Amino acid sequence: MADANTPAAPEAPAPKPFVPFEPVLTKYLNEPNAYTIEHYLARGGYETARKHVGVTDPATLVATVKDSGLRGRGGAGFPTGMKWGFLAKGTGKPAYLAVNGDESEPGTHKDRHILEKDPHQLLEGVILTCWAIQSNHAFIYLRGEFILGYQRLEAAVKAAKEKGFIGKGVFGTTFDLKVTVVRGAGAYICGEETGMLSSIEGGRGYPKIKPPFPAVSGLFKCPTIVNNVETIANVTHIIKHGADWHKQWGTEKSPGYKIFCLSGAVKKPGVYEVPLGIRMIDFINEYGGGLVEGRTMKAVIPGGLSAPLLTPEMVEKCTLDYESIAGLGSMLGSGGITVLHDGVDMMSAIYNTMRFYHHESCGQCTPCREGTGWLEKLAHKHHAGHAAAGDADLLVDVTKNMRGRTICVLADAAAMPMQSYLQHFRGEFDKRVGEPAHAAKTRSARDEITPAAKRDAALHGAPSVEKVGMGERQ
Amino acid sequence: MTVKTLSPERLRQFHDWADEYPNKRSMLMMTLRLVEEEFGCIDADGMQIAADLCGVNVAHVQGMVTFYTHFKRDTHGKHRFMVCATLMCALDGNTDAALKQIEAKLGLKPGQTSADGLFSCEKVECLADCDKPPVVQKDNEHFCKMKGPALDEYIDSLLALEGKTSGQYTAPGAPAPVATDLRIPVLPSYYNFPGETTEGARHFDDKNPYLAPGEGGRTTTVPPALKTPLTAPVAGTAFKTSTNGHDHG
Repeated sequence: MADANTPAAPEAPAPKPFVPFEPVLTKYLNEPNAYTIEHYLARGGYETARKHVGVTDPATLVATVKDSGLRGRGGAGFPTGMKWGFLAKGTGKPAYLAVNGDESEPGTHKDRHILEKDPHQLLEGVILTCWAIQSNHAFIYLRGEFILGYQRLEAAVKAAKEKGFIGKGVFGTTFDLKVTVVRGAGAYICGEETGMLSSIEGGRGYPKIKPPFPAVSGLFKCPTIVNNVETIANVTHIIKHGADWHKQWGTEKSPGYKIFCLSGAVKKPGVYEVPLGIRMIDFINEYGGGLVEGRTMKAVIPGGLSAPLLTPEMVEKCTLDYESIAGLGSMLGSGGITVLHDGVDMMSAIYNTMRFYHHESCGQCTPCREGTGWLEKLAHKHHAGHAAAGDADLLVDVTKNMRGRTICVLADAAAMPMQSYLQHFRGEFDKRVGEPAHAAKTRSARDEITPAAKRDAALHGAPSVEKVGMGERQ
Repeated sequence: MTVKTLSPERLRQFHDWADEYPNKRSMLMMTLRLVEEEFGCIDADGMQIAADLCGVNVAHVQGMVTFYTHFKRDTHGKHRFMVCATLMCALDGNTDAALKQIEAKLGLKPGQTSADGLFSCEKVECLADCDKPPVVQKDNEHFCKMKGPALDEYIDSLLALEGKTSGQYTAPGAPAPVATDLRIPVLPSYYNFPGETTEGARHFDDKNPYLAPGEGGRTTTVPPALKTPLTAPVAGTAFKTSTNGHDHG
């Protein structure tokens, strides 16, 4: 027993106990007509926008969002209000808002539900955000696969236009706003903010080098704010209820609530909105109903496919906020939690993951274009059970040479999960080392001493392996 | 002979969008969708139409169409199955189950189109409905938990719609499916392959291939076949393609 007089060792604040949470963003998703403007107006929709647009000083709105501590829900978790503050002013160019609904991180399917079932909630956020950053034109970029989402959002924009909430003179003020919905066509890289901007501009979704950041030079080389669908949907509620209301949930650095997507080996996979800072194991057990019968947990992917794995011991310690997961070497990302059960072959899982990133690399930067290919091929060798003894080390080497060396973070997104698999499941990699006949044959042919090396060996003594490996340059 | 054009309604839609975009080039993504809706797929003519409308070179449009995998091409089947093969769907064999069912019914492996061009099957990456695997899209239709009876019944309904039976694709001696070739032909569209007719092809004036229609550049007359054939132009047979662009042998 610790003596009462002994100073207590500094310890992390205890995770908040599990309490049921009444959803904010997803409250009406189960109602069949929640996507119509009538339903949205009946529950007080567009009142917040009507109250503030053309009336409240935009700087006040930016300050409210900054105070609320809202962080980007798309993956990076950058403070939204701060981002808005970076928007270049007085450039003489129009400012744009680009809403990112590309949602292509595997494991994430939250924006789909907002777009399909409650698009007006997003539109009100767009109107408020555009007023706050004084932009007259918003683009909403959806991934091409969201067919219903596109139809519903288009219909929502049309309905809002007819009511005078969007278009010339929003709510009878002098503020004009255009909202354009753009549909992508199946490219993961368009979820990267500058890749999305390239796509809206009518090109391949190639990310652009930063700086300049989009807030300075983004869409059509004009100042642009890029935010995720969920982030923008949050804006309405924060402006309606105030910053303190938002801060009642979550932790000091990650205030608020977030939509998490649960998939994999749980009884009730789905989309759940919870306050940040609850324990991950509570989330999996209380919302997901625990693991499927007869299975135990092998690992958890906490924030979409690119997030490094958490082992069951780490999951016990983990709380659902940006800092806790970052402290465990992973990331909250976009909130796509996938539970892998004990029957999952990790070598197949990593091969599947690497295939994804190789397929989705846009090909601009060599470390990513080639590196993802190397990772996929080496992962395939482990998956198929004929890896060479040094291949796992080679994987470590390749991932080290990919991270931080490319225009966007896709290379990191591919390298990070590979590093975590290597860190936690190195044993499984080593078990797959084995050389079938054809591999052994290739190896002996490759290592055979070349004629030039033979000649050198006769003249200067036996060459080292490296010299032979380097070919006939000497 | 006829040259394809967009219907007046879709052209009006295009002109309506002109107010929404700062320049024509930025309308390309949506214009390609119009073309896809109009013709059911994006073929060489469709790319040319999009290029003309958006004021960009057709090579740029080709670059777009090959980069974005969701655009439907003329080498895809009329009914195009896209099966999510990313980890969340692939866990516990869900993707494989869906693919096996498609193969059993239609004789198609991923990356293949049936010989009559009615059906094609491909593995795609995440379709963002990871809590309900396996996720399958058929053109513009989205299905969750699409395996077992649901998938079988759906394929049967498509077969009935086309007046076909599963046996016509899977019985011994049924015409073998072909690999879906998503490459862009590199030869000029007016080049005639030996034995190929020029009917329905789009043609350019040899003198001014880059001028817009109305400026005298493009003609709809059939130019004379090239006197000296280019060497070894064989379409679609040189190497096999697969949906992820590489295989591991």
